[in-house]
Amino acid sequence: MPETQGIKTENLTIGYGSDLIKEICIEAVPGKVVTLIGPNGSGKTTLLRTLTGELESRGGVIYLNGKDKSLLNSYDTAKAMSMVMTEKIRTELMTVREVVEVGRYPYTGKLGILSEEDNDKVRDAMEQTDTSLLAEKYFNELSDGQKQRVLLAKAICQEPDVLILDEPTSYLDIKYKIDLLGKIRRFASEKNIAVLMSLHELDIARKVSDVVVAVGDGKVLKIGTPAEVCTERFIRKLYNIEGVESELLGEQYWESASKDSDCEKSLERNEEEGHSDASFEILNKHQRKNVSDNSTSEKSGEITSHHRAKVIMIQGTMSNAGKSLVAAGLCRIFADDGYKVAPFKSQNMALNSYITDEGLEMGRAQVVQAECARIRPVAEMNPILLKPTSAMGSQVVVNGKVVGNMKAMDYFRHKKDYIPEIMKAYEKLSDMADIIVVEGAGSPVELNLKDGDIVNMGLAEMIDSPVLLVGDIDRGGIFPQLLGTLDLLTAKERERVKGLIVNKFRGDGKLFESGINILEDKGRTKVVGVVPYMDIKIDDEDSLSERFTNKTVGEFDIAVIKLRMISNSTDLDTFDQIREASVRYVEKPSELGDPDLLIIPGSKNTIEDLRELIKNGLFDAIIKKAKEGTVVIGICGGYQILGESVEDPECAESGGSETGLGLLPVKTVMGSEKIRTVYSGNVISSTGILESLKGAPVTGYEIHMGETHPTEELTEFTSGKTGYCKGNVYGTYIHGFFDKKEILEGIVRSVSESRGKKIDTASVEDYKDRKEVAYDKLAENLRKSLDMEYIYKVLGLNK
Amino acid sequence: MAALFWMNIVLGSTSISVSEVLNILAGKAEGTSAAIILNIRLPRAVAALVLGGALALSGYLLQTFFANPIVGPYVLGVSSGAKLCVALMMIFFLSRGRSIGLIAMVASAFAGSLIVMAFVLAISVKVKSMGILVVCGIMIGYICSAITDFVVTFADDSNIVNLHNWSMGSLSGIGWKEIRVFTIVIFLCLIVALSIIKPMNAYRLGENYARNAGVNIRMLRVVLILVSSLLAACVTAFAGPISFVGIAVPHLVRSLLKTDRSNIVIPASFIGGAIVTLLCDAIARTVFAPTEVSISSVTALLLVPVVIYVMMNRKKERL
Repeated sequence: MPETQGIKTENLTIGYGSDLIKEICIEAVPGKVVTLIGPNGSGKTTLLRTLTGELESRGGVIYLNGKDKSLLNSYDTAKAMSMVMTEKIRTELMTVREVVEVGRYPYTGKLGILSEEDNDKVRDAMEQTDTSLLAEKYFNELSDGQKQRVLLAKAICQEPDVLILDEPTSYLDIKYKIDLLGKIRRFASEKNIAVLMSLHELDIARKVSDVVVAVGDGKVLKIGTPAEVCTERFIRKLYNIEGVESELLGEQYWESASKDSDCEKSLERNEEEGHSDASFEILNKHQRKNVSDNSTSEKSGEITSHHRAKVIMIQGTMSNAGKSLVAAGLCRIFADDGYKVAPFKSQNMALNSYITDEGLEMGRAQVVQAECARIRPVAEMNPILLKPTSAMGSQVVVNGKVVGNMKAMDYFRHKKDYIPEIMKAYEKLSDMADIIVVEGAGSPVELNLKDGDIVNMGLAEMIDSPVLLVGDIDRGGIFPQLLGTLDLLTAKERERVKGLIVNKFRGDGKLFESGINILEDKGRTKVVGVVPYMDIKIDDEDSLSERFTNKTVGEFDIAVIKLRMISNSTDLDTFDQIREASVRYVEKPSELGDPDLLIIPGSKNTIEDLRELIKNGLFDAIIKKAKEGTVVIGICGGYQILGESVEDPECAESGGSETGLGLLPVKTVMGSEKIRTVYSGNVISSTGILESLKGAPVTGYEIHMGETHPTEELTEFTSGKTGYCKGNVYGTYIHGFFDKKEILEGIVRSVSESRGKKIDTASVEDYKDRKEVAYDKLAENLRKSLDMEYIYKVLGLNK
Repeated sequence: MAALFWMNIVLGSTSISVSEVLNILAGKAEGTSAAIILNIRLPRAVAALVLGGALALSGYLLQTFFANPIVGPYVLGVSSGAKLCVALMMIFFLSRGRSIGLIAMVASAFAGSLIVMAFVLAISVKVKSMGILVVCGIMIGYICSAITDFVVTFADDSNIVNLHNWSMGSLSGIGWKEIRVFTIVIFLCLIVALSIIKPMNAYRLGENYARNAGVNIRMLRVVLILVSSLLAACVTAFAGPISFVGIAVPHLVRSLLKTDRSNIVIPASFIGGAIVTLLCDAIARTVFAPTEVSISSVTALLLVPVVIYVMMNRKKERL
């Protein structure tokens, strides 16, 4: 038959009284099971009812076996389509056989007398649904499971081409569910029936369907194979499950789902999942050791007997006033003094995220602070992370998991909804730590945004925390900063401010004594300290930092392509150890020059950045440099850019596909499951100038959406198929690739030798060791400049 | 049924022996007894038979329509509506010194029942609860009865007594002429009812499944309403409102036969209605003979317990 069999809709609009779902284009073909999923009220049942004719459509066409359904007469429709809906059937004294016989209705004559053939079909249908034994029972006396089977028998005996079922498994126990869906599946293939049904149980939908249609937000959101549609990310979005770290959603469950979708790179984190408290075991162990080191165990023991942690909050007069550093320094000081410390910031806005051992995302500032506190970072330290994806919107990460993208306004409107998540995270830390150092965000007196504040004074109120206010004297206007902020606070909020900190003071702090007097006099608040300007290199909080504007060329010239959606850019911080090395960011071809090393960093949106590169001409410029023999290293998104192509069939980032630089014969396909895992491996083998890297250890983490596979025989660079290289072009998914001493040293030495330069690499250390030095220096400086005794008093601890 | 029929002919305030009756029926006898049998008792028995059947059938159709086991023409006020209309017509004609024609009677009763039915339908669209629907129906019935009473009270005609008797429900005074008219109408209705057996069987699964089986729902509903209203109207026009036969008999039939297949229940309801009405009429005539009790009183007495029993059993399914 030339016409398409089964059921098909074209721009169908449905709803009661008003449009519920618009422009539905779906299709169910014989032999296939199509399942509708979507939240309650999304219109699944309405759609099915419209298809069966119970409701009028509000526009568009329904094609039944290729014919416009509205033109078919009722018998032809009945012969082509049968249904099992959720409505309760009120019958009495109607036997099962009679119910099933209704299925033959369109085939019988005027008086509805069944022929021998009809009777056979009724019997067959009952046998196939295991309802033969029930034939003479009254329908209303059956159990729910039996009823569903009888209705299925009725539907089957109608010999339809299309079978429509609305939640056929609701009210059924698991045995009946499996049984019934098994039958539906079988009928679809054996009788070549197109099945279209709605299901609530996603796990079952995944197993039974050929195609899954997700409806929500007044439209069909996604159509695809179960593996394509039933990804955690999408399901969370679809059902609006924000930040629910639900065991019911079950990590295992989603992992196995991604396996189905040949996303074989299932994360090793499975084993680690489910005991996130492990971090605190480690924390405790570490602390105990630390405590004994500092021989203050007595006190520590005494303090830990308190259930609730002491808390102090650092707020700033503006962004970059130095809150993070002060908080980090305090973490180290308290830790050095023998306390169990945990950092906390309710909401971070940063492109740079860190991946915890559990595979959860959090802001890097709290990672630094956790490192200062000598504990393992856990996502609870940063319950909400906003990662800007465009000028208007952000990816929202709640307790380490992406819950979706939100426009800034939407987030602002919804942020109060996150309070329970924030408090849950805080309580968890509070149970474990002695002191919690909380960092605010921006300024506490952004008056237009103050309503429903969950990051500054609002949070301080919720957790009843004293506040230290940090001002940045380096940028000038310290008096209006501090006094103005105090002035704008409400009396109650002002009460919370227990001290002021003048930060980034250049020169001798004593010179500011008169300033302190003025502040204390006018602000009626104690100045806790004047902190000197410190040239301490620790992780940048976000990509807006000053270093991006650096254009100076050093002896060892590292050019980094400044992607518009640059991400995880701390990868390069380790190069700071090499005095002669300069890291500069390149935005246009003319700036490229002749670098010793060309690095393409990670991106939040590879395809968009690729397009940007093509537009600004860097695309060709990079290829040209690589052809000339410049060492090119791509990290994560940069690695994907190096390949032949990047495809995003499921709209994991922004959809579409783009040709890559083609410098590495690899191909990337974006999957919607985010891969995030901590990595420890080595360079398996290497080519070109960096050949000597072979065997060097690599540590770091992976965090990306896509998978990259070589298109030809290729040298595996970083182990675990996380990177490949060819000639002088190297790509790897590992963030923190440069952190190991061996790697950094190896790269700088090999490249400089090949370029005839002599660069001193003797002082190079692992990035981690270097950080420790920096943290200690920070703590030392802070301890010198802050009135720690007073701060302990504010905390409620007598030292 | 034959026995009951026989009993209805034989029993009466004037005692006439069995053999005499046989003779009269065979056409061999003449006189007062023959006149009583042929002109009073026999037509009355036939009327009871046909009208009773019609009532029960009407009840069954309504129960199917509303998928509600406790509705019937009387409960929904349809009978009362018909009664009101007939009373108005009667008074209208009588005040002009003319007696009302049979066809006009049926027509006005039909109009009355349709008007009330329209009301009930409007309510059933608004409220989904079966219980409320029934209560509304009963209220409408009371309103109609009240208006009828007003009308009757203020009608200053000698026929007022007749009118009153009629409005209480009575099978007396029905002659062969009347029988011919309503028998034709009712049998036509019965044929139509039998012709929609197939969709009605499917309709038992509910509107949506029936539609899915290819039933033209709108057509079925229109037919159900028209036929049941016409049946109820017919009965009311000739015998006044007879209560509870329409609601109780289909139940008795279903529970006796243990099925609700339309092809069985339609004829069975008709026969059952006939039997019950014959029985009730016999009781109405004889228990307090020579005084006659209103047949509605008897049907209420006998059938209300059945209705209550049904309602009690239904409780679990929420009315």
